[in-house]
Amino acid sequence: MSELTTMERVGLYGGGALILIGTVGMGLLEIVAGAPHPVSGEGQVVHETLISLSVRSYTILLGLLLLAAYGISNLATKPPEDTSV
Amino acid sequence: MVTNIQTQLLGRDVSFPVEESRFAYWLVVLRMIVGWWFLHAGLDKFLAWPFDASWFVGGAAAQTSLGPVVTLFSDGILLSFTNIMVPLGQTLIGLGLIVGALTRLAAFFGAFLMTFFYFINGETGGWAHGVITGDLLGLLIFAMIATLGAGRVLGVDAYLAKTSFVRDHPRLRYFIG
Repeated sequence: MSELTTMERVGLYGGGALILIGTVGMGLLEIVAGAPHPVSGEGQVVHETLISLSVRSYTILLGLLLLAAYGISNLATKPPEDTSV
Repeated sequence: MVTNIQTQLLGRDVSFPVEESRFAYWLVVLRMIVGWWFLHAGLDKFLAWPFDASWFVGGAAAQTSLGPVVTLFSDGILLSFTNIMVPLGQTLIGLGLIVGALTRLAAFFGAFLMTFFYFINGETGGWAHGVITGDLLGLLIFAMIATLGAGRVLGVDAYLAKTSFVRDHPRLRYFIG
């Protein structure tokens, strides 16, 4: 097990945190204080959300980009251990 | 069979024992199902050739968060490139997962494609069924396959990992399972 560098921490934990905030965090907030069901019973989309859906999109997107950056920086910096069977 | 998984989270040792006798079975099932998902999607487009992605990269994507990037591929040579690379990529990703060849590379590109499907399908549908969609779960399964390096179980990667070429170029292990 290797220690993470600061940049790796930002990519791995920052990326994961943003995805969790965009999905679970904002979802909980909508349930507690906003509009957990932006879709009516008839299937009509009603956009009465506390946090703009585009803010939610960008939060998740930024998280995925940070995780991708972590993966690509790993590729550039160090070879993985030999795990052949 | 119990193996101790040595792992860390937020700098803390959170190693845990796992009863892993069904682990290989699960990895192969996961690879086969996700592999067929993409292989079928790719072959389906080739069988109904020509494939035209302009409605997706041009029309549907225009108003989404990925719009500024994706709409660049809605015209001319970049659209022709997309029309070939989407079905070809899906076919190769599916094949790679099913035979367990270059599994991590296939899973990476699977997650890459799912990112576009997730945001464009989700945003054009107004996230009508929430932000956790089948596309996001597909993306997460690709990430899990890449993390576990599932191609070494009944897969070509088990052979590739032992070749002298991979031993001489250890960074290639990032692409194989």
